[in-house]
Amino acid sequence: MDLIQALNFAVAFFMVYMTVFFLLLFVKYRREYYTAPEWKGQTPFISIVVPAYNESGLIEKCLDSLLKLDYPRDKLEIIVVNDGSTDDTEAKARKYEPKGVKVFTKENGGKGAALNYGIKKATGEFVATMDADSHATPYVIKELVPYFDDPEVMAATPSIKISPNNSPIKEFQRIEYLMILFSRKLLSYIESVPVTPGPFSMFRKVVFDKVGMFDEDNLVEDQEIAMRIQAGHFKIRSSVEERATVYTDPPDNINDLLKQRVRWQRGGIRNYWKYRYLVKSEFGDYGMFFIPLNFATLTAFFIVLALLLNSFFTYSYYAQYIAVESVAMSVNVFTIVGVFALLMSLVWLYVAVSSFRTEKIKLKYLLLFMFFYWYLMMSYNILMAAAEIRGAKKTW
Amino acid sequence: MERKVSWPLYLTAFVISAIIFIAGIYVGTILDTAQVGSLSSDVNSLSRELSTVQVLMLSEEDPAFCPVYEEEFLKIDSEREKLGYELTYLEEQKNVNSPELKKDYFILEAQSYFLAKKLQEVCQDDSILVLYFYSNDDCPDCAQQGADILSARDASSKNVLIYSFDGDLGSAMAEGFMTQYNVTGYPSVVINGETHSSYISPEELSAEFSK
Repeated sequence: MDLIQALNFAVAFFMVYMTVFFLLLFVKYRREYYTAPEWKGQTPFISIVVPAYNESGLIEKCLDSLLKLDYPRDKLEIIVVNDGSTDDTEAKARKYEPKGVKVFTKENGGKGAALNYGIKKATGEFVATMDADSHATPYVIKELVPYFDDPEVMAATPSIKISPNNSPIKEFQRIEYLMILFSRKLLSYIESVPVTPGPFSMFRKVVFDKVGMFDEDNLVEDQEIAMRIQAGHFKIRSSVEERATVYTDPPDNINDLLKQRVRWQRGGIRNYWKYRYLVKSEFGDYGMFFIPLNFATLTAFFIVLALLLNSFFTYSYYAQYIAVESVAMSVNVFTIVGVFALLMSLVWLYVAVSSFRTEKIKLKYLLLFMFFYWYLMMSYNILMAAAEIRGAKKTW
Repeated sequence: MERKVSWPLYLTAFVISAIIFIAGIYVGTILDTAQVGSLSSDVNSLSRELSTVQVLMLSEEDPAFCPVYEEEFLKIDSEREKLGYELTYLEEQKNVNSPELKKDYFILEAQSYFLAKKLQEVCQDDSILVLYFYSNDDCPDCAQQGADILSARDASSKNVLIYSFDGDLGSAMAEGFMTQYNVTGYPSVVINGETHSSYISPEELSAEFSK
């Protein structure tokens, strides 16, 4: 077996293995997946920190949703940290001061710094962080609070979704968010929740004393803090309940979307590399499976890219004379395994999306997602590599 | 909290994936074998067709029949050439090696070559006959030489018939030709009986094909 063939085998096996693994995980935990701890009247004091930078267009919707939360108002503190916005974000936020919203303005210093500023001002036993471009459904706090009955749980995340709309690019992201949510829930069963998402996450405030505050110089500070929580052997829980949904506003064009994904991917890989020391059995599945999985996925992507380029450049000169026959003849073990992996991915997509019973998605978007968007999004790995080489800087 | 590694889950996923993978390999192997079988049957069928033309030519060498012979021969030879590409594709792209099939194919090529020579003799056919000897083991110029011969053939206004032989396969037919034309290294190209014992550039090939 030569190197090319060995790489083909390795990547094909990896694809099959990952699909099988996640489907198995779902089969094993399908009962738990559809149950969530019930709220039993607990009303701890909660601070919600909303960092904002030039969010004039969406901050009112965000604050309106927080004021409508189904939770005792005297147990809730809403803090807006205006991170030196250059638009009228501050003015819009200050309109909510009479309703008890606390607004602070600081010099621009990035999202991590704004979050830390707000957390230091927070007086709650729990701190929720929320992006200003998101809005919550009323039950979100009551949904998340019961997870903290377990003293080892240091963070909990709600369903983070995108509202249905007519923009294909947003619909694709809507499907993607459902898949991420589905995966995050499954990963919580093997203590490997990878992120406490920026749109909304709730923390036991003491966790910031135990693992430190948000990293102020990180491309994906919401992922980095989750890694420290995992490193500290604490638990992160994830809810998929419809009644506790936070809707976020995604990029509405390919450029912004790719920019966002490149930032996520760059930051993610940097963090996994930074925390590579967690690859030990004492860190359980997170260390022995999840972190290596991220490196393996990235490696597999570049191997596939190299194989494609190789087959392009070594295209046999005689193949032009047998164009039709060569297509038929090219069916081999990789085609069969590839088709199988594709079918299983379709099953995976179907299981993931249909697990959210109230989410209705048009078939055309599902198919386009599977056969177009998925592969388009993988290209962010190439852009990520380019950005790393270029040394592109971090922005909000 | 003490962390655990879900080894049983990983192992189960591994076993299921391995079963799927082995099943894929099995089906792939069946398909490859079927493809070799199909090519083998094509080689036999073309061989029969060439033999028929050969017998006809032996029984009746009247030049009046030349248009019929030429038409029939060129049709069969173009099938023969395509079969050669398919065989190479199977070998290079899919790592499916069938030395016996290749040897049978070389016999088919030899049959076709001799018939082409007979056509030159009986019908004054002006086709250019090219014997190309290559090696898959130690011949850095062979792939390029193969591509150059094909492109020069495509650019030529004359009918160029190419017969490629893997000299390292142990085919008696290939070895016989190599002895006959004094071929000692790779790549070597024999154009209308004249041996070129090293790489020939596209320009030289074009010049040879327009003689």
